[in-house]
Amino acid sequence: MAMPKALIIRTAGTNCDFEAQKAFELCGAKAERIHVNELLTSASKILSYDILLVPGGFSYGDDIASGKILANEIKNKLGDKIKRFALSGKPVIGICNGFQVLVKMGLLPDPELFDQTATLSYNDSGRFECRWVYLKNEKNKCLWTKDLPEIITLPVAHGEGKFIAANSETLKEIEDNSQVVFRYVNADGSKADYPADPNGSVNAISGICNDKGNVFGLMPHPERYVYALQHPAREGFDGKYGCGKKIFQNAVDYLK
Amino acid sequence: MEYEIEILPKKGFTDLHGARVLSDIMQAGIKDVKKTGYSPVYAIDGITKAEADLIGWEILSDKITETFFITESSTTAKDRGCKELSSGGEKVHAIEVWFKKGVTDTVSESVVKAIKDLGITKEVKVKTGHIYYIYGAVGKQVLEKIATTVLANTLIQDYKINELR
Repeated sequence: MAMPKALIIRTAGTNCDFEAQKAFELCGAKAERIHVNELLTSASKILSYDILLVPGGFSYGDDIASGKILANEIKNKLGDKIKRFALSGKPVIGICNGFQVLVKMGLLPDPELFDQTATLSYNDSGRFECRWVYLKNEKNKCLWTKDLPEIITLPVAHGEGKFIAANSETLKEIEDNSQVVFRYVNADGSKADYPADPNGSVNAISGICNDKGNVFGLMPHPERYVYALQHPAREGFDGKYGCGKKIFQNAVDYLK
Repeated sequence: MEYEIEILPKKGFTDLHGARVLSDIMQAGIKDVKKTGYSPVYAIDGITKAEADLIGWEILSDKITETFFITESSTTAKDRGCKELSSGGEKVHAIEVWFKKGVTDTVSESVVKAIKDLGITKEVKVKTGHIYYIYGAVGKQVLEKIATTVLANTLIQDYKINELR
């Protein structure tokens, strides 16, 4: 494939779209930040892209609940196209607020069902949590996390990141089906308590994918650790780069 | 018709905001209160009961962790959702906080947008407010102090205190 084209959906309050664009460009993709209003006038345009990203931030001021209004807007006005995109197997990612959007519109954990069966609720601390965390890269089917080390580090910054499945059956399905991608852990990979686990997610889940592995959502921010220089100790994963770059690279390479 | 849609945590989920309010009340030096609860509330004018149900389910509450309670705005203020959560006979007051007329309510603008996105395209008016439940035998003067020093910014917000039980 020629240079893959990534669509980054932005709206009032999204604030990680530039970083995501730069990350894709660094990895050899062409990335466009398109306002959701523009997509509403030409929804079919969505299907002309190869990768879809819903970025982090505070869409619509996080009014009502984080990601809720954008999820409602996308589902009701662009839902058919977004679902088709996801079911086609093309890479889709939601980061932080974008993860909240994907879960609340029902694209995760099961885009075929396209109904909300999980949520991201208030952190157990009741506060906004902003720090670097360690994540265990679980054995999973996600195309975005191929060849990452077992333990990685990424920054989080959220007030509503506690992953909760609708019921025990849904949780079991996600777990049994290897859809849990990342869990919060300590640096040595052991079970984390607060503050290493910033929000008290069920089973310390910080990222999940769909059954096919092409739709991925996570609370941490890979676009904020593309270069080693962005790490507080300047630690790199791949020479001068951070492990966040690898996540974007995997999606781009998958299309080549 | 105007309906008020109140959002409450489902049983088994923690009322984090309610707990924080209790902490704020104690930090203000008020020791009489032992338990508090919190609900955001949305007054929506121009919708039917069926639309209120749809809006409560699809937009205002989280399907996994929250539930909602609808009242007609014209009904008595004593009819509030905390009754569904709290059994037993302890005294309950509700302190409601709403913006004064003329104050910009930005969240209400987002809610209007979300209602239109949901497919309800007729004109609706939305006001957002807060309900704080104060449990236990707390005197009127103390409730006034809680309302004016902790819960409401009286420059831009009105408050009313209702005894529910």
